[in-house]
Amino acid sequence: MIELRDVTKVFPGGTRAVDGVTLAVHEGEFCVLLGPSGCGKTTTLRLINRLVSLTSGAIAVGGQDIQQLRVTQLRRRIGYAIQEIGLFPHMTVEQNVVTVPRLLHWPKAKRRKRARDLLDLLGLTPAEEFVRRYPAELSGGQRQRVGVARALGADPAILLMDEPFGAIDPITRERLQDEFLRIQREIRKTVVFVTHDIHEAIKLGDRIALMKEGRLIQHASPSQLLGQPADDFVRGFVGTDRTLKALRLTTVHEIMDAEPAVVGEEETLAAAQREMDSRGRSVLPVVSTGGVFLGWICRSASSETDLVPVGGRITPYLVLGSQGMPLNEALALMLESATGTLAVVDEERRLIGVVTFDRLFEQLRQTYAERVASEVES
Amino acid sequence: MLSTTWHYLVGHWSYVGQLTLEHIRIVFLANGLAVVIGLALGIFVSKRGREGLAELVLYVAGILLTVPSLALYGILMALLKALGLMSIGLVPVVVALTLYGLLPILRNTTTAIRGIDPAMIDAGRGMGMSEGQILWRVRIPLAVPAIMAGLRQAIVMNVGIAAIGAYIGAGGLGQLIFRGIANTRADLVLAGAICVSLLAVVLDVTLGAVERLSMPRGVRKEGQG
Repeated sequence: MIELRDVTKVFPGGTRAVDGVTLAVHEGEFCVLLGPSGCGKTTTLRLINRLVSLTSGAIAVGGQDIQQLRVTQLRRRIGYAIQEIGLFPHMTVEQNVVTVPRLLHWPKAKRRKRARDLLDLLGLTPAEEFVRRYPAELSGGQRQRVGVARALGADPAILLMDEPFGAIDPITRERLQDEFLRIQREIRKTVVFVTHDIHEAIKLGDRIALMKEGRLIQHASPSQLLGQPADDFVRGFVGTDRTLKALRLTTVHEIMDAEPAVVGEEETLAAAQREMDSRGRSVLPVVSTGGVFLGWICRSASSETDLVPVGGRITPYLVLGSQGMPLNEALALMLESATGTLAVVDEERRLIGVVTFDRLFEQLRQTYAERVASEVES
Repeated sequence: MLSTTWHYLVGHWSYVGQLTLEHIRIVFLANGLAVVIGLALGIFVSKRGREGLAELVLYVAGILLTVPSLALYGILMALLKALGLMSIGLVPVVVALTLYGLLPILRNTTTAIRGIDPAMIDAGRGMGMSEGQILWRVRIPLAVPAIMAGLRQAIVMNVGIAAIGAYIGAGGLGQLIFRGIANTRADLVLAGAICVSLLAVVLDVTLGAVERLSMPRGVRKEGQG
């Protein structure tokens, strides 16, 4: 738990980098400090581990006033990750990762084990091989993983991360974000994460603190920030496509039709036609007797009198969805698919649901409104 | 003339060898002192907030290097005599070479220590390293190659300057040169000059290898990648 109370930082020269910020980050919460460059987000982060000294206000970490702790002691309790350039080039990956455990005088065997466990956790396997390498022998993405592993070195309850994925290519960044989310679900650290990238903030944050000119403008969940921007600055910052950005916050599972109308492959075209009419649909999924999704049957392929099985007239599918897929991806797939409908399947490719445009619009409008309402109440 | 020089070197190899050893001793004594003083001073003035002092120290060391060696020997002889110390022979020459050797070592030490990527220092601080730990575990290991390069420069330069030390009785290969001049024996001057140059080249190559070895492994790889 991190508490900032009326925190202000004025640099020599008079710049008010942080201006009266009050902010609480709860235990296990992922808080993103977001804003344009020069808004004070990095300074705010650095105030927490006293890399920048407070002008006024107070900060407490785990209930303790940070001014009461010895500065090195405070920092050794807080993980700190910056862009990849912060790795020590003359030290091996292992030596880098156990920097803080070494400062804390952990016994050697415990440090060795910790380094290997962390590399495993960050997907740098085989860990036994990576421990011996030097930062210069790694790719940008791998270096960043080492940076995160190093921040987790002494298993701190709190992590401060300053644009840790800023210097890597977009594809690797996406993958690192996904992996970091997975790891965070496992380790549940209290994270303060600085970024200027709204997409990154929405994807990673439980809550987003949007800053401007040293002040905290809005502190809210991603969906609240997108759904109820506090003012024109927030509205402008999240962008006019904020509704599209909000799609990322909902998964296919939440809006799919879990009991879709289906046609068996041995049923007749006439039967399929009747089903479409009664459901008011122009396309239906075809499944095998085992429930495996085979493709689509379209109205144009059937006729009322045809008594042949649909098996021969199937329109093959181009894309498939899964339950955990965020809606922004689902929408992209639906735009690609031949039928404008997305079949959702499980690992054995059995059909478990269908997403249509109508359903997407309807359900999205509903869940979105509900979610914002419920969060405003709480 | 080359053949008489050759004959001299072959005929007096043990004497020339002894002079070479004397020469090496002078240079190594002086540069040993220069490293100790240069490192200590370099680390001292590299601390944050001492930028002005660093400038001043480097400036003074730069000026020292412009003083002609013969003049510096003379000044030191007078100074040492006033202090009641040995004013002739080895001592003034070693002191002079130490002063000359200071600049490259001092300059490389301060530039390297202050030039470390600030992000790295930031990471070290942010993880709870003390300033001393940052100095000894990050700054100095990364500065070692630059310090070695400075030392190498100082040694090679001092091999030449040490030859003039024979004029005030410090011994070394300069003796051949001065005896040659006094007796108008060009073969002696040439023998002395060749030996000094050879010594400089050999030390330069050897120290170049040491410099590469002193580079931390991870940094060496960075250079290649």
